[in-house]
Amino acid sequence: MSRNDDISAKGDPEDRNRASPQGDSTDPLSLNRRATLGIGAAMASSALSVVPLRAQSPQVTALPEGTTAIRTLVNGRPVAVTIDVRTSLLDLLRETLALTGAKKGCDHGQCGACTVHLDGRRVASCLTLAAKADGREVLTIEGLSHGDALHPMQQAFIDHDALQCGYCTPGQIMAAVACVAEGNATSRERIREYMSGSICRCGAYVGIVAAIEDAASRMGRG
Amino acid sequence: MPAPPFADRPRIDALDKVRGAAAYAADMRFPGLLHAMTVPSPVARGRVAALETEAALRIPGVTRILTPADFAPTQRVADLPNSPRPGLVPEIAFRGEPLALIVAETLEAAIEGAEAVRVRIEGAPFSATVDSPGAAREPAPDVSTGDAARALAGASTIVEASYESPTQHHNPIELLSTTAVWADGRLLIHEGSQNAGAIKVAVARTLGIDPAIVDVKSATVGGAFGQKGWVQRQTALVARAAMLTGRPVKLVAPRGQIFHLATFRPLSRHRIRLGADATGRMVGVHYEVDQQNSRSGGFPANQYHDGAMRLYGIADYAGIAANIRTDTQAPGHMRAPYEHPACFAFESAVDELSYRLGRDPVALRMANDTRTDMHTGKPLSSRFLNECLQIGAERFGWSRRNPAPASMAAPDGTQIGWGVACGLYPTLIHPAVATLRIAADGSTRFAVAGHEFGQGIRTALAAVLTRELQIDERRLQILVGDTTAAPQHLTAGSWGSASALPLVVQAVARMRQAVAELLDGRRIAGTLHQQIATVRRPFLEVEVSQVGPGQDSAALQRMRAGGYAVTGPAYPDFTTMSYIAHFVEVRVEPRTRRVRVPRVVSIADCGRVVSPRTAASQVRGGVVWGISHALREATETDPRYGGFLNNDLAEYVVATNADVDEIDVGFVDEPDPLFNSIGLKSLGEVSMVGVSAAVANAVFHATGRRLRKLPIRVDDLL
Ligand code: FES
Ligand code: FES
Repeated sequence: MSRNDDISAKGDPEDRNRASPQGDSTDPLSLNRRATLGIGAAMASSALSVVPLRAQSPQVTALPEGTTAIRTLVNGRPVAVTIDVRTSLLDLLRETLALTGAKKGCDHGQCGACTVHLDGRRVASCLTLAAKADGREVLTIEGLSHGDALHPMQQAFIDHDALQCGYCTPGQIMAAVACVAEGNATSRERIREYMSGSICRCGAYVGIVAAIEDAASRMGRG
Repeated sequence: MPAPPFADRPRIDALDKVRGAAAYAADMRFPGLLHAMTVPSPVARGRVAALETEAALRIPGVTRILTPADFAPTQRVADLPNSPRPGLVPEIAFRGEPLALIVAETLEAAIEGAEAVRVRIEGAPFSATVDSPGAAREPAPDVSTGDAARALAGASTIVEASYESPTQHHNPIELLSTTAVWADGRLLIHEGSQNAGAIKVAVARTLGIDPAIVDVKSATVGGAFGQKGWVQRQTALVARAAMLTGRPVKLVAPRGQIFHLATFRPLSRHRIRLGADATGRMVGVHYEVDQQNSRSGGFPANQYHDGAMRLYGIADYAGIAANIRTDTQAPGHMRAPYEHPACFAFESAVDELSYRLGRDPVALRMANDTRTDMHTGKPLSSRFLNECLQIGAERFGWSRRNPAPASMAAPDGTQIGWGVACGLYPTLIHPAVATLRIAADGSTRFAVAGHEFGQGIRTALAAVLTRELQIDERRLQILVGDTTAAPQHLTAGSWGSASALPLVVQAVARMRQAVAELLDGRRIAGTLHQQIATVRRPFLEVEVSQVGPGQDSAALQRMRAGGYAVTGPAYPDFTTMSYIAHFVEVRVEPRTRRVRVPRVVSIADCGRVVSPRTAASQVRGGVVWGISHALREATETDPRYGGFLNNDLAEYVVATNADVDEIDVGFVDEPDPLFNSIGLKSLGEVSMVGVSAAVANAVFHATGRRLRKLPIRVDDLL
């Protein structure tokens, strides 16, 4: 990579330099889908199409060049969407599905702020093409708990003040839940190692480790 | 009467943050949103001869490309605080300077568009580093008191050494993001910032519009550390794009670009001569410092002395400073901007002195305590540094330390070192206006100048509000970082609490008075909400303001106009500083020579602690910063092309979870009797000051190697 590329806009030539479908696509969401997914009016005018399931059949409608249709389950809800093939899972979640809990901290897989679960395993959603979520299950921080009841990990993060600015927190919590599930929360040393992919620039590490130890015991693991 | 101690309470916004529901600037959604991407300059100096945009414009989804033609020329003045930033200009002053802005229907198209723009540049010679030809040394005014030369001539022991602190970048995890909406004759800007008030004014000036029609919101910020203190170059670009397209526009700057766009902590070099008499009293200091600066940057070079000269009771101090001007973006304030590098140098020198004198480093420091600001001759309003040292030494078990270097080791040969160092930070304040509204429906609203970037200002405000008033905390709204709610000022320099919290006390008193007037002698039981409801008022609102000691209404005016209106730490009758003592254990592995920090004890004197839980987190975070700076962080300048080489989080290494172990935090929690009604001082920055010296001193104790250049890396210990 030349030095110029380093400070130019992000670009992975293989994944991102395909022609864009924009400009001819104005497909709004049906009211139903918008309500189901909790997507605001913003989406209606986005040129990126999120099409209703019934209009999704490739045999009926040819997809614009550079796009692909995917079906995925996000936080337990079915999502069928036509995406620019270059779209990352993180950008799909944030910009199209209005799930802004996962954060962009680097877009390079270096900070962990975008961590979500794909089929139960933690991934950096910025490094995961949205197309790879096709046929798979995505869990984000928004789907970790339901209603007023918090996941034990969320409660532990509050109890141990395992956050400051909170920007890394959704990624830390998703990584932490996975860390426990993987069986890697068995000691503080191990937690530290297995949580080192998630940077907390505010430096809440002491609280994060304490929260994971605490939650792991409540989750019956670790 | 200073406030009694405050009780522990959870962080008020933690619930939203753990649910992913806290809304940062880039999370805001607007119908018809367009995405933007900048085209950064590949060269450090030159002039844009041509911007070829045709190919980019042909990319489906690209709607507009902004170039210098879209901006009325503004004078390209020094990058001083609050000066209007240019929009886009053809003259290139640093590598990474934005040359064009692509606006597109999707992020993918904006990125592709930015890559498709071809720029023809007439390059010009440049100086990349402080050692490059053409780097210009420029003396800054001295900061001196007494006669250091005479004092040093009479000293019986003199330590003389040079220390170096590297270039560093803030790297909050939230990227710089701006969303601008131009609608109904108003410009709305959402941006993670420490200075919504300055954005309002600077963007208006750059775009030639009235600041009165600009609203700026920065309600929740994903870390800042000084990076978001002044106005970003991108803000006006995005605002202009929104005005030109008539649609909301969002830019999230890639981190690699932010390394070149935002400010940074400049390289600084410190040359210290520290003299002591036969009793161990430090009698004189000659301290020369120089730092990298940009050609026109306004980050002063001589403020390294402000803290160093006040650390101990040293009457004779010569503070010399210089800038070395190079072709870079402007450096600026990064957490404890001066005190961290200065205390690394000075507290290392004090440690060296302790060995020369054969004195215990804790005892030596305690023997050099003072009650006076030697620079002004005025009393210090409070100073409990010796208490910090004493409590810290006890908790750490300092008395078990064998002072001889390389004398402590684990059975496997790991060398163990214990180090101590102190830190201090000025306690500053700016004028502010606050409104308190109590409504009949049970809700309460408090609005004030301030920004929440994780330090916990909302929690601290809530701590005072709920102690003073019977209100329903779940119905409490605290508005900060919002120019539509209260005039906003830069939140930095650890002055947030002092500038906002005493206003709560004042507002509550005013509110009680207003309610009493409203009731006019009637006795109505219940809360203020119920009393207001009973007399059939929807709400009652009071406004209060405060200025710092010695300030008058002109300062308040300056603040209202979006200006910089900070005063301190030398007030008319006293000087106020916060203090901290850090005790650090390091372990140096025998073969890899890797340095680990298994435990730290840090005891702070920040006056009265208002929010114990968030305050402790602040200090732990500061200690992590200190460890990170001591052992990890440095930005490498590219000598060939200018700019920075390791411009991402894989190459710019910051402390991760595996780098941190036990951090035991304590507070003296003694209220300052003079500074304000609560007795609080300042905390955010002092928490990291001195940590890196304590680490370096511990490394010396472990290995016998005195390392005077940060960061300390494995190769230094082989
Ligand atoms: S944004 Fe994905 S790892 Fe940083
Ligand atoms: S809480 Fe701010 S980055 Fe972790």
